[in-house]
This record gives sequence, structure tokens and C-alpha cells, in this order.
Amino acid sequence: MGAISFLKSGFNRAGQKFKLSVYLWLIIMVVCLILVLPVNSQIRTSLGHLSWPEHSLMPFELNLVEIFLVNQNLLASYFNFFLVTILLTVVLAVFLSGGLFGQMINPVDRVSLPGFLAAGCRYFGRFLLSLVLFIPFLMVFFLVFKILSAPLNLWSARAVSERPVILAGWLSLVLLALLWPAFKVILDLARIFIVAESKKVIASYASALKFIGRHFFPLWGLYLLVTLAVVIISAIWLAICRLLSAAQPGSLFVLILFGQAFVLFRLLTRQVLIGVEYSYFSTGKDS
Amino acid sequence: MKKTIWPGALTSYLILVISISLLPAIPCPAQPRPVNYKLEVELLPPAASLLAKETLVWTNLSQDYIPDMYFHLYWNAFKNELSTLAREARQEKYFKRYRTKEEAWGWIKITSLTTADGHDLLASATFISPDEPPNPHDQTVLRIILPEPLGPGQSIKLNIEFQAKVPRNGLRTGHYKDGFFISQWFPKPGVYEEGKGWNCHEYHLNSEFFADFADFEVRITVPSELVVGACGEEIKKAEDRSAGKTTYTYAQENIHDFAWTASPRFIKVERWFKGEEEVSPEEYQQMAELLGVDIRDIKLPDVRMILLIEKQHRHQVDRHFRALKAALKYYGLWYGPYPYRTITMVDPPFRTGSGGMEYPTLFTAGTSVLLEKDVLTPEGVIIHEFGHNYWYGMVANNEFEEAWLDEGINTYSTGKVSAVAYGPGRIPARFNGLPLSQLFKLPAVYDWQLGRVISSPVAKLDSVLTSSWNFYNSGSYSLNVYYRAATSLFTLERLLGEKTWARIMRTYHQRYRFKHPRTEDFIQVVNEVSGQDLNWFFQEFFYAAKDFDYAISYVETRIKPEKYRGIFDDLPTVSPEHDRETTNQTAVSKKDKSRQKIYETIITLRRYGEIKLAPGYNLKLKVEFEDGSIDWKEWDGQSRWVRFYFEKPVRVKRAVLDPDGLWLVDTNLSNNSYARRGPTTKIMSVTTGLFWLVQNMLITMSSWL
Repeated sequence: MGAISFLKSGFNRAGQKFKLSVYLWLIIMVVCLILVLPVNSQIRTSLGHLSWPEHSLMPFELNLVEIFLVNQNLLASYFNFFLVTILLTVVLAVFLSGGLFGQMINPVDRVSLPGFLAAGCRYFGRFLLSLVLFIPFLMVFFLVFKILSAPLNLWSARAVSERPVILAGWLSLVLLALLWPAFKVILDLARIFIVAESKKVIASYASALKFIGRHFFPLWGLYLLVTLAVVIISAIWLAICRLLSAAQPGSLFVLILFGQAFVLFRLLTRQVLIGVEYSYFSTGKDS
Repeated sequence: MKKTIWPGALTSYLILVISISLLPAIPCPAQPRPVNYKLEVELLPPAASLLAKETLVWTNLSQDYIPDMYFHLYWNAFKNELSTLAREARQEKYFKRYRTKEEAWGWIKITSLTTADGHDLLASATFISPDEPPNPHDQTVLRIILPEPLGPGQSIKLNIEFQAKVPRNGLRTGHYKDGFFISQWFPKPGVYEEGKGWNCHEYHLNSEFFADFADFEVRITVPSELVVGACGEEIKKAEDRSAGKTTYTYAQENIHDFAWTASPRFIKVERWFKGEEEVSPEEYQQMAELLGVDIRDIKLPDVRMILLIEKQHRHQVDRHFRALKAALKYYGLWYGPYPYRTITMVDPPFRTGSGGMEYPTLFTAGTSVLLEKDVLTPEGVIIHEFGHNYWYGMVANNEFEEAWLDEGINTYSTGKVSAVAYGPGRIPARFNGLPLSQLFKLPAVYDWQLGRVISSPVAKLDSVLTSSWNFYNSGSYSLNVYYRAATSLFTLERLLGEKTWARIMRTYHQRYRFKHPRTEDFIQVVNEVSGQDLNWFFQEFFYAAKDFDYAISYVETRIKPEKYRGIFDDLPTVSPEHDRETTNQTAVSKKDKSRQKIYETIITLRRYGEIKLAPGYNLKLKVEFEDGSIDWKEWDGQSRWVRFYFEKPVRVKRAVLDPDGLWLVDTNLSNNSYARRGPTTKIMSVTTGLFWLVQNMLITMSSWL
């Protein structure tokens, strides 16, 4: 099978189980509301009755800066709240991954919220452990990145002008973007083994590493292809958004809808990626 | 030991005049200057060091007998971790501006210091620490004992030889590979203040400089492949082909510092500023009328503009000259013509730690390779650093002790020039050196708008008039002396009116050109020209660390009840004013009473800040109603709060405190207005944007876990 076949298979599977993205979208929306509502409340309290004449004394963005500078003590408290919520979201994300992988790999086409939540519960422990066991891989990832980016850093450090510094900075980012999927597939494959073959975590890692050893480049390439597609579509989306923001009446409502469509697109992309990886796994496990 | 004390200032002055007369004439006012420098320096790039000789003639212009001299040896601030600069840098919690590696230390060492007849003064020299808290390890101030006290009008000639190591990535000076920016590099006497002694501070993290006006002649020898720029005019260039070295001679009268730069990657571009081309006759006429001066007094002379720009930034040459021309034009028209023949702007060598700094007739303005057109960098920096020729260069306040007098006034001036020459500039958004304006645009703002917002949090932290090294931190220093001071000046301008303010600023500049004014001098000019006693303003906004915040605290509207419950007798108990208002309304609407609702509106104003308006000043409150009618109220702002009552057949549409926007120094302008319908769409837009960002952040995070 060629890359297109895997992509098609992954896309079909994601399309059939699109509801999963909707579940994730709703759950993430709840977390977002928890995070954003205090800020919104502060803005509405401080600026909800601001008089906004045609020629105002300063741009609205500066009013925002002003009220947050004036209320710095609130900002500090909010920052702590934000951090705690994000930490809790990490745990939630592991649970959601369990639900997502469980339902995506499930041969039954139909998905349901109870099934999604049940999968989340079923795999939570093993997924959490798989995340913990991924930490050494992360350390290797950073080590490899450090080694590979060392020449760029040296070039940047010895530069006598600004261009090499900017270029080296961007090349480092590209390197990071290329290297990350090479390690992320390990975690994804281990989780596929956990779900598809009901293996324990360490055994899944062993199988995943063995599998990746045989199929590294195709897997990495597929991951990069999906990522590239996301980047291109995101760029087009941003360009359209810029055009929309120039329009006047009703543009805010359209932008909100468009923004949420993008969020759904990103969630669906994750489904597609899991679908592609699973499709490749299904084909390659017997070879 | 024999000292050389010349008969008097007259003799030294004659010699000085003769020596200067050999140079091209430079039209600077002839005022007695206490110092004359002749410097010879050779740059040794491989060792990043300087070998130099200095001949200094210092004249006692005071009535005191002076037994000693204090010298700044600024580069010793980069000598070790115990210098005052390094200690202050370590204490900083927010900014780590001064960092250096082991091999990057800088220093200056005097190897010989004698009088003209060979009397050695080095043996008795000691390092001192004049500032609080004292630092016995600091070596940036050297005291020498004179063979005999120097009497009024007497001069002393000193011959100094010194070596110096250029710090790498220093603060305002330094080198990186073969690019050099050399400033504060030679032994420089402090300023002698009659009756007080030497004013000679250590090199601090948060302070700049103070020196006497002097005449300079400087010979700079560098490897021939380096392109050189320096303060003043280049009057001679001699190349020694066999040694591969070139010696440049620069001269300039009536400046108080001398900096230079050398790099093989400079491109040197020269253009002329021509007063007759840059300013139209109408502009001259308008300005003469505004300032109340003869049009001949404001004519601008031609100035040779020299740009040393790194090759990587060559595409920005036109941007640089456009900004410099705007600065020369408006500073010249508003405050007085630029008195020197040349101005050199330097795009400083990469990584020399010297971007955005002022020296007389020379300034640096760092830029970036990738720039958007509507982000006013480097324009803002060019205007600001050039402007220091007026505020610091010519009106030479003590930057250690009263930094606002140059930084605050110059930030105000920069904002004015930028606004008139360019309009608002977009706030830059960059990532990894790349502009992000194609992704999203931050707003375009005027300097004063941004300045007043960002400086509000430090209002209660330090007073503007704190000594530079005594500020809470670098943030408080810069936000107070640059932006809060500038915001206060913009406020004064609005209070006094454009014409009065323009005349104040010009009078202050003209009166203290080539002098060392203090804050009291500025206040005296403000009071004199405006005809008002504004001491209270400076007391509150400059000498005290207080905030100023008046606000519309609460607006309540309710339908007036047709009947009040309770027991009433026949005697009225309301105030006469309230009685009159209600009586009138009752008279007008008696027939319609059964049909028409009456709204009672209460607007509460509060003074959250500690600063009170001075007696005689009132805050205006403008109240607009739904039927288009407008009510005005005034409050003297003395109490902590006040309530105003309105009864109308319509509700309040909006209310604005200080509707003319006079009090820009108010730390929170967002609480100065009330509208029944606020900027809902804008708030919605901000919230949904934030919501979307958080959603994407969470999706990214969850996809990694």
C-alpha cells in the first residue's frame, strides 16, 4: 500500500467516527470556559461600561493592558488558577487519549459518548503509565535535538551579523518539528499495541520499538505528511480569516464559527493521524 | 614634585583659542569651558585593547581652592563581579542586562599621570566610592591629590597615559570580534560644583553620565580595513600603508563626551540636511508665531548627516535618513537650531551591547534585518537618540541624579516628533526574529498612549526624582524617568495649552543651552512663562511617589416613584438646588405627569489615588442623556468621593470624567467613563479570540499527551 492508501484509510476511519472530535471539542470547550470566564468577567467588570467614542483617547487594546496592570494582584491569583487548571487538564488529556484510541481502534463503526468515556476509563491507567515511560524517550529526544542543533548554535554564536542568528533559530525550529514526530510515533504505536493487542505497557513499548525498527521511515513520513497538510490548511485558514476580519458587519459571528471549525479540524486531524498510524500498523504487523 | 599652575584662565583660554583656530570654524557659542582634551588612541583589535595618551587642561571656574581632582574610570565597572555595576546587575530580579564571560572583562589602567612639569600624581591616587551604599571594591572613581590647591581661575595641565581592555558585550560599550563601539573610555574629570565639591558618581547599572563641556581633539589609529566614525568632525586622515594602519583626527568644541566606533562591516553614507528645503516658509511663519520669535531666529542651518550602517541593514538607509531629517527639523524648530556641523548616526556593530545610546554629535540606533514598514523601529530610536543632543548634549543635566530632565523631556519630545512625522506606530510582534504582522496585527499607537499605560504601575514605587541608582529596579527607573515623566509633561502641555507650552520648552532650552540645569530651573521656567504657580504639580508628580486616579465609580439610574411612602409634614426637607430642579421639571411636565417617567440618576465619582488636584483646578464631568441633552458638573477633587444627582425624563447615555483628556497622568483612564451600552462587540471579540487561543493550546497539549 502506498502513502495515499494509508491516508485515505485513516481519513475514512476518522470520518466514520467524527463524533469523537465533537466529544473532544465539547470537553475542551468546558475547560476553556473555566479558564476564560474569570478573564472575561474581569474585562466586563472593568470595561463593560466604558464609553467608546469615535475618537477614543487610546486603542481598546491599551484599555485591556491598563486594566490588567491596574489589577496585577488579580492577575497573579489568576495565573496560579491557570496553572492548576492546566495541570488537571494534563490528567484529563490522558483520559481523553484513552477514549480516542479506544474508539478509533475499535472495529465497530458506531461510536457513543458512553463508549468513549468507558474507553477513557479502561485505558487511563495504562496510558498514564505509557506517558511516564515516555519520559526517558523525551530525554533522548532533547539530547538528539541538542546534538543535531549544536552546529546551528555554533554558527549562530559565531555570527557577526543578524541573519545567521535568525536563520539558525528557524532551522532549529524546523529540526524540532522534524524530530518530534520521530519520537511521538513511539508513544502512539505503544498505545496502539495497548488497545489493539491488549498488551501491558512495557510489552507494548517493546513491540512498538520493534515495529518502528522495521517501519521507521514510512511511519515518520506519514506523520510528516499529515503535519504538512495541517500546516498548509492552517495557512489558508489564516489568510481567509484576515480577509474576514477586514469586513465589517457580522464578521465577528462568522469569525467565531470559522474559529470553531478550525478547532474541529484540528481535532479531526488527530483522529486522522491515529487512523493512519493504525492503518499502517494493521498492514505492517504481519510483514 | 612641581606643579604646573598657569597664571589664569585667560592664558589657557588664549592657547585654547589659538589651537582651535587652526581647526575649521565650528559655530558654537563661546563660553568659558573648564576642560580641554587632546587624546591619542590606538586600537589593537586582536587583544581588544586600547593604548592611549591624554593631555588634559582643567580650569577652576569656581571661587573655591580645590585640593584634589576626581576622575571617572568607567571601564573598571566591567573589571570584576565586585564593581558597583556588577553588584547592582546581580541584584536585579527582572532584567539581567550585564552578563559577561571570564575572557570578556573590561578595564582601564592609568600607567602614568603627571603634571606638565613631570610631577607624578599617580602615587597618591586612590579609588573612592562616593555613593551610598559605599563599595570599597569599586574602581570607577579615582581621586588624585594636587600638588597645591588650585585657586579660582587657575588651570592645571595633566599628561595621562593609559591602557584599556574593551569589554565584550558590555553595557553601552564593547566589542564583538572586530566590531568596536568605544564610549566612556578615557579618564574624565567629574564636575566641580562650587561650594559642594566634586560631583563624580560611580558607574551604576541604572544611570548614565554627567560631565563638563569641553573641547576635544582626538587622534584614533586603527587597522586600515576598519571604517571609523566618531563625535565631531573628521579633520584629518593619514594612512600608514606599511603598518596597515590609518590615523583619523576628529575635533569638536563644546561637547562633554567623546565616543567612537570601528568595524569592517560598516557602510558610510553621507547626506545633507538643508534647512531651506526641509522647512517651508509657511512652517517657519507658523512656528515663529507660535513661539513669539523673529522668523530669523528659527532658521535652520545645513547639517552634514553621516550614517554608519552595517552592511546587512543597507536596505534601511533611506529610513534612517528620513527619521534623522524629521528629528533635525522639529527639534530645531521647536527648541533651537542644531549648533554643530555634523551628526553621526551609528547602526552599532553586532553584539557590542551599544544599541540606542546618545553621545554629543553621535548616537547609536540598533535595528533589525527584518522590519515592517509601519513599525517605527528604528525611526523612534533615531529620533530619541538624536534628541538627546538637545536634552543631555546641550542642556546637560546630571543624569545620575535627575535623569528625567533628559530622558523624560526627550521621551516627550520623541513622542511629539514621531507623531507629527509618522503618526502612530504599530506595536511590533515578532517571533525568533521574524515579524508576525502577516499573522496578526497589534494596534498602532502613539508613544504617549503606550507610555502612560506602561508607566502607571510604578507611580507608587519610586518618585521620578529618585537618584538613578536608588530606584527599586531597572523597570522602575526606566518607566519612571522616561515614561511617567513624559506623561506628566504631556499632561502639563494639555493643561497649559500648546502655545504656552511651546514657549516654555523653548525658553528652557535656550536659557540652559550648554549649561547644567536642575529640576528647580525647569520648574522656574514653567512658572515664569505660564504665569502660574505649578510647584504643586511637580511636588506631586515628580518629587513624590503617588498615584493619580479619579474615576466614575458608580452610575445608578432608577425610575422616580410617583409616590413616596411614609409620613410627611408640610415642610420641605430637600436642598434648595434639588428643590429648584424638581420644581422646574414638575412645572414643565405637570400635564404629562401621568404619562411620563422621570429617571433619577446618581453618579458617584471617586478619588482612588493619593494625589489631589490643587485648589483652583476642577475636574469636569460631562453627562449625556438619551434625548441628546448634556449636563456638565465640576468637582474640585479634594474629597475622596462626590455624588451628583440628576432627574430627567430620559436615562443617562454616557458620562465622561475629564472629557478633554487633560489628565493623561491618571493611572487608570479606563475608569473615567460610563456608557449604558459599553463596547460589547470589542469585548466579545477579545474574549472569543482568547477562547480560541486557549482551545488551540489545549488541543496541542492534549495531542502530545
